Amino acid sequence: MVSKEEIEHVAKLMRIEIDDHLVHIDRVQKMIAYFDILDKANVESEDLVVNEQTIDSLREDTYIPYEGKLIENLKNYKGTYIRAPKLN
Amino acid sequence: MAKIGLEIHCQLTNLESKLFCSCKANYREFSPNSNICPICVGLPGSLPMLNKKAVEKATMISMALNCKTPEKIAFFRKNYFYPDLPKNFQITQFDAYGTTSIGHDGKISIEGKDIRIKRIQIEEDPGRLIYEGSSEKTQITLVDYNRAGTPLVEIVTEPDFDNPKQVRLFLNILVDLLENLGVSDPTLEGALRADGNVSVEGGNKVEIKNVTSFHDLEKAIHFEITRQQSLVDRNIAVISETRQWDDRRKITISARKKEEEQDYRYFLEGDIPWIKLNSEHFEKLRKKMPENIASKRERYVEKYGITYQVADVLSSDKYYADLFEKSHNEKNAKEIANIITTDLMGLVDTREKRDISKLTHHHLTELANAIIANKISRSSAKIALQEMVRTGKSLIEIISEQDLDNVSDESMISSFIEDVLNEETDAVKEVKEKPETVNFLVGKVMKKSKGKADPSITLKILKKKLEIS
Amino acid sequence: MTLRISAKKYIEEIQNGNLTVEEFIAKTIERIQKIDSNLHAYLEINEHAVEQARLIDKKIKAKEKVGACMGMPISIKDNICVKGTKTTCASKMLEDYISPYDATAVSKLKLEDSIIIGKTNLDEFAMGLTTEFSAFGPSKNPWNTEYVPGGSSGGSAVAVSSFECIASLGSDTGGSVRNPASFCSAVGLKPTYGLISRSGLISYSNSIEQIGPITRTVEDTAFLLNIIAGIDPHDNTTIDNHNENYLNDIDYGVEGKKIGIIKEMTQEGVDKQVSAATNKAISKLEGLGAIFEEISLDMVEYSVAAYYTITATEAGSNLARYDNLRYGYDFDSEGYEFNSYISKARKKFGPEVTRRMILGGFVPSAGHVGKYFLKAMKVKSKLTAEVNEALKKVDMLISPTVPILPFRFGEKIDDPIALFLVDINTVTANLTEKPAISIPFEISGGLPIGIQLLGNSMQDKMLLQAAYALQNTVKLPEVPV
Repeated sequence: MVSKEEIEHVAKLMRIEIDDHLVHIDRVQKMIAYFDILDKANVESEDLVVNEQTIDSLREDTYIPYEGKLIENLKNYKGTYIRAPKLN
Repeated sequence: MAKIGLEIHCQLTNLESKLFCSCKANYREFSPNSNICPICVGLPGSLPMLNKKAVEKATMISMALNCKTPEKIAFFRKNYFYPDLPKNFQITQFDAYGTTSIGHDGKISIEGKDIRIKRIQIEEDPGRLIYEGSSEKTQITLVDYNRAGTPLVEIVTEPDFDNPKQVRLFLNILVDLLENLGVSDPTLEGALRADGNVSVEGGNKVEIKNVTSFHDLEKAIHFEITRQQSLVDRNIAVISETRQWDDRRKITISARKKEEEQDYRYFLEGDIPWIKLNSEHFEKLRKKMPENIASKRERYVEKYGITYQVADVLSSDKYYADLFEKSHNEKNAKEIANIITTDLMGLVDTREKRDISKLTHHHLTELANAIIANKISRSSAKIALQEMVRTGKSLIEIISEQDLDNVSDESMISSFIEDVLNEETDAVKEVKEKPETVNFLVGKVMKKSKGKADPSITLKILKKKLEIS
Repeated sequence: MTLRISAKKYIEEIQNGNLTVEEFIAKTIERIQKIDSNLHAYLEINEHAVEQARLIDKKIKAKEKVGACMGMPISIKDNICVKGTKTTCASKMLEDYISPYDATAVSKLKLEDSIIIGKTNLDEFAMGLTTEFSAFGPSKNPWNTEYVPGGSSGGSAVAVSSFECIASLGSDTGGSVRNPASFCSAVGLKPTYGLISRSGLISYSNSIEQIGPITRTVEDTAFLLNIIAGIDPHDNTTIDNHNENYLNDIDYGVEGKKIGIIKEMTQEGVDKQVSAATNKAISKLEGLGAIFEEISLDMVEYSVAAYYTITATEAGSNLARYDNLRYGYDFDSEGYEFNSYISKARKKFGPEVTRRMILGGFVPSAGHVGKYFLKAMKVKSKLTAEVNEALKKVDMLISPTVPILPFRFGEKIDDPIALFLVDINTVTANLTEKPAISIPFEISGGLPIGIQLLGNSMQDKMLLQAAYALQNTVKLPEVPV
């Protein structure tokens, strides 16, 4: 059972303010409780399956300037920098 | 007894492009936010394209630090929110599912002391932040993404250093090593950054971050050891924390604590497959590895009879080593080594001076051969060298323009000698009593001849005239 | 002139001169204007479509080289970037975002002279099964507008089945192409992971998702796959398919093919009409020479929990970049501090996305990662091993695409687990990176039922051949709209 406090803590970690606490928290608790089924899966010894490629398939090291003034299409652009709120 | 460890970030500035896109790796010449693309700015739908050469160069660093490299490497996401992080996660390496970073368990020796390299990993640099106004009153943060995505290699040592001097020595050796490998120009601003961690017996480990120079790092570590030791001596606990160097007050101060503990939620980067590094890859790179500094130095000493000190200077600076390698042959090696380590050094001791120097290895060959053949005196050679650096003119041109030929004509030298003997009557008297002071007169003859008189011939004639042996 | 034709037929008609591109495009737009205010498949229509059509007609008339698509109208799910157009992911967070580049799959279609007719509706950021989580309102099932069209690529499936376009590109993370294809009686393919480039697909769960075509016929799917599949330097996870031609030998048939019936997907929890349809499909294929046996995949039981754990983790990271600083919507940052600004800005995420973000922060967190995320990854590995074992004995696997019939709006939206479980037959293909396709097979009580075939990695061609054979065993009624 996951506590309300834990869920609020995670919401902060994920940088999302939540207003309607109770609605979300109830559903999130249900979802996490459902995930408990994973404990029964008996997969402790399982090795990870991964996708591999060799180093030869990687990109060559060449400089290609990006065409188009990308920065002007982004919001919060005034002059030369992106403006972000101050840091605490 | 202190224990010090280092965490070093080295930008691979010699690469053409960034780690995951084709923007320029060395961002320094660009105006803000003009070295960017959808990938390094983190636009929706953009995916990383891993740079092959970055993996190769990182492998070479790993090999040069005697690390073990795994058969396969993987990338991970380190998740946190910060304005300089375009995706709000950094693609880096991490050791879950076994060892998957590019290097681990290496070692490097500094003056007999072994420093163990714990881990080497490849990762991307974030962008740069500029704060408008003083940091107290800042209302906005300005972000420049030019640097975002620049390839970094992070090198982490075990806490094997005993004192700050060792740290400094290690960093100097590391700088030479990285330059020698041709992976990075550590003299570029921000290309090599180091953080440290310090503990003393009976106390906890403290991290020191955001120190801008190696010199300051040394001071910060020294301060920390003193601070911690005094706490321990008074039975006060040393708190495990992160501290910053305050350059104005020359002390370390506690860095602002974060609101909650950082949980980076590391997991595999799904956009980059695991990269297989087979033995073929290592062999190819091993062949490409430039000769390391120690073996270069040994070779110079053994093959050319150069002294250890001179060979050390030559081998540990790539600029000098390259000049030496290209200019020398069996006969003039020692002379060229000499020219570089005595006369040339003062003329090209900074990156700026090297950038504008017009001297090539041809000049050195010419000059050394001329000295050996007695065509030019050492002091004239010094002048010629300066001119070569400044203008790049050939030796022949410089000699004729500045009239630097050695005068070996005996009658010319004789006449110089006559003049000096007439002027320096006191010295002549002294020589009769103390024959070794004849060098004073040789010097005067050299001065009269503007350095061109052949010194050995001068000495021979002088001795004859003064009737001393 | 009718819009109710396949891509193959369209090309024939253009080439024979029976049809001009402009006519077809104009008629398509007319149809959209007529029915889409009700169905809401589209979020945006290309205002320049008719112009673009004229240019292609000009090329055709001048006997110049024209791309294989010959101007056919194709719609694109709104989480796939189309240059110069809004790409919103059906979210208020990106309601003003205009992409400066084309997704690779889109640029390949454009190179072959297709016309991008519009962007289709989806569940916000592709998280959902019904389009009920779209910030701009749901899409409606054209077979019965009180029923959901499936999701998350609901808009694409509606557009294709209602003849509002010839074909569409959707994305499939846990069934998001196959599920709406099944609910709307269309063909939906999730290819082998790495077959189609994800560059320009706005990531939700990048280690398992793929762009997938939604069409009316299997042949059309093969036709599109030929255009958009292939290795792409912009996506390091793409694999070389050596320019495989998926249309060649599409009528190869299933003679001698061994097909495994997935026990865990065909017995418990399956609506009886769906069960009956599945058995009928099996008979039909047997009649064509396929041989069936039962296959058991133990991990299916845990696959939904594993899927939602893994996707929440990846989504939590993939959506972190939406901090409204460089792109997003209008919200002045003046006077705010960084962390409080972005926390407020991110309130624009809809409720389902918000919940997934919370899950995504929770299941890989230091205190819980072993219990949830790492375990889910192990389930993924074991399931892959089980499917690989099975595919040594048989050539492909069969099951209904969705165990239940399409349901009404609002029916499942309050029960998160019931909603998750709609995916139980489809997430296996994503978790194991194998290709799977939904073939429209029956209309039962006015509601579509689709059959799913799952094949081995890079065996998409064989899968299409079997799907082709199956689709041709039935003649289904046309959509009543």
